[in-house]
Amino acid sequence: MGVMKSIVALIALLFLIIPAAACAQDESRETIVPGAPPASTTLPPITISAAPRAQPIAVSALKNLGGDDAHRVSESFGKVLMRDLTLSSFFRILNPAAYIEDAQNSGYDIGQFNFGDWSSLGADYLVKGSATRDGDTVKVEALLFDVPQQRRVMGKKFTGSPHDVGEMARRFADEILKSATGKRGPFDSKLAFVSTRGGRFKEVYTSWLDGGSLFRVTDNPTINLFPDFSHDVSHLLYLSYKSYSPELYLADLDRQIETRINPGLGQAVGGTMAPDGQIVASYQRGGRTNLYLLTPSGNLVHALTDNSSINVSPSVCPDGDQLVFTSDRSGTPQVYSEDLDGGNAHRVTYKGSYNTTPAFSPDCKQIAYESREPGGFQIYVINLDGSGAQRLTQSGSNEGPTWSPDGRYIAFSSNRGGGSRIYLMRARDGYIIAPLTEGQGNESNPAWSWWMGD
Amino acid sequence: MNRIQRGRGGWAIEVGGLTRAAGVALLVLGLAIGGCSSKKNTQEGAGLNPNPNGLGEGGVGSGGGSSLNQMQNGTLGANGGPLGDIHFGYNDATISPQDNGVLKANADYLSAHAGTRVQIEGHCDDRGSEEYNIALGARRAQAAKDYLATLGVSGDRMSTISYGKELPLCTEETDDCWAQNRRDHFALSQ
Repeated sequence: MGVMKSIVALIALLFLIIPAAACAQDESRETIVPGAPPASTTLPPITISAAPRAQPIAVSALKNLGGDDAHRVSESFGKVLMRDLTLSSFFRILNPAAYIEDAQNSGYDIGQFNFGDWSSLGADYLVKGSATRDGDTVKVEALLFDVPQQRRVMGKKFTGSPHDVGEMARRFADEILKSATGKRGPFDSKLAFVSTRGGRFKEVYTSWLDGGSLFRVTDNPTINLFPDFSHDVSHLLYLSYKSYSPELYLADLDRQIETRINPGLGQAVGGTMAPDGQIVASYQRGGRTNLYLLTPSGNLVHALTDNSSINVSPSVCPDGDQLVFTSDRSGTPQVYSEDLDGGNAHRVTYKGSYNTTPAFSPDCKQIAYESREPGGFQIYVINLDGSGAQRLTQSGSNEGPTWSPDGRYIAFSSNRGGGSRIYLMRARDGYIIAPLTEGQGNESNPAWSWWMGD
Repeated sequence: MNRIQRGRGGWAIEVGGLTRAAGVALLVLGLAIGGCSSKKNTQEGAGLNPNPNGLGEGGVGSGGGSSLNQMQNGTLGANGGPLGDIHFGYNDATISPQDNGVLKANADYLSAHAGTRVQIEGHCDDRGSEEYNIALGARRAQAAKDYLATLGVSGDRMSTISYGKELPLCTEETDDCWAQNRRDHFALSQ
């Protein structure tokens, strides 16, 4: 089978080269031209209101140490960093128009600038740094300062291509959260979701969590649903009706080749990826929908459920030992947990008559799910043992919760603003931070990836 | 350092869990539609790009006559065809006694038209999660298939598919509309 896979991959690659060359002139494609200025970092125009008790932080421009004369590196880095710090709800950005110091005419490390220029603005924290560009290589050094204590807190050096500047900022945002709160932030990660922004049809998209680098994964006028990233964010599993029968596909995002998952268990209903690359999928045959553990290439390992009920919406905890799912074996859809080896099934939810789409928290201790209430669905969080259920959303109808890799946030879809959009909230108290999408068409099925980097 | 993604759609397809020969055959099929996917494919309505795999469970083929095909053509619900829909209660897949007549008529039509096949589509209203509703729709389609079998329709002329809540006939948040959407549709093919 391994040899077979290699041969198939080789043939696929050979064929891919030809159309890729033919498409080189397609302006809709993002191409890397060596020496060209970095692509502008486009982020969706969303409104993020500053969270209560958010700490004031100043994000200064990066000092140009050579090659960044038009300040494109500085602007891309700053734009992404400010977006992510605001989305964290820990910080509010002090308006750059009010900054006194000229970043290009002062130093950027301790002793080379005046903290008074920043304390007078009320800054608790300050980001400064430098940018160097030489051909296709960009170097960014970014530093975090505690302004009241006039102290350098942390510094990082990044090297990459012009296209990597956004990710440098995302990684630095995560480091700032680690310095300020003791726990790494979640912004070096991707969001997959379903959107009708291309027309009537539901298509799968990915972007950075902050909305940068929007990428359309599917392009077929049928129905595409339930995207879910592999743990290493290299693959995306999704359900599609593109063959006019519902089937799961595993897309290799790097090679842009996909595998049709076909274990011969009936029609696919949905699926998720386990941390080790195996797939947990629901298939229906004869009106019975059961869950199965599959290998990454789609062969059956073993059945996880075997009954005449509906068993759907699996979510595997990152330690890889357990899953949660929805089953109506009690007569109504409820959340259950089970070991991935197929034993130890427990019912988790009892309150309410319709509890679905469970999502395991990254620490495997909590489950977010949606519960039907008068007027719509609301997101709840409950402990794995069924205790401590807490309602997080209050308005509109809210569905499909997905956790950030650090466990601090939950993204979900909601119709609270009219059409369905993806929103970000804090997991601990349900504080709504912002919509993550700008609401072009209806958006649903959010899936938050693990961290891109280590 | 990171993975930069570009391009869109139209990827080559590998097949997991299939035999070697079938895998290669489908790979080639995938390439036939894959490769250089340009903007024309992204415009809805223009060039419906039906997938050539045509692997409908019962061989209904590339979606002809299905609700999905009608949705693509903008004719969903406009043309019922010779077979009548049946309807269900909320979160329920039980055949309602008032639909016995519709099912009898559908069975009669099928027995009078021996060369036809039917794909029974299960549909749901828009309340509840999409994945649960796909499973619920499958249960509804199976209920009708079982019922038609008791009326003498051969199993190999019937296939089932669930569209969950993805292809609603109407989109108002009213009891009437929800009731219309909780249905089995019978898509006829030759």
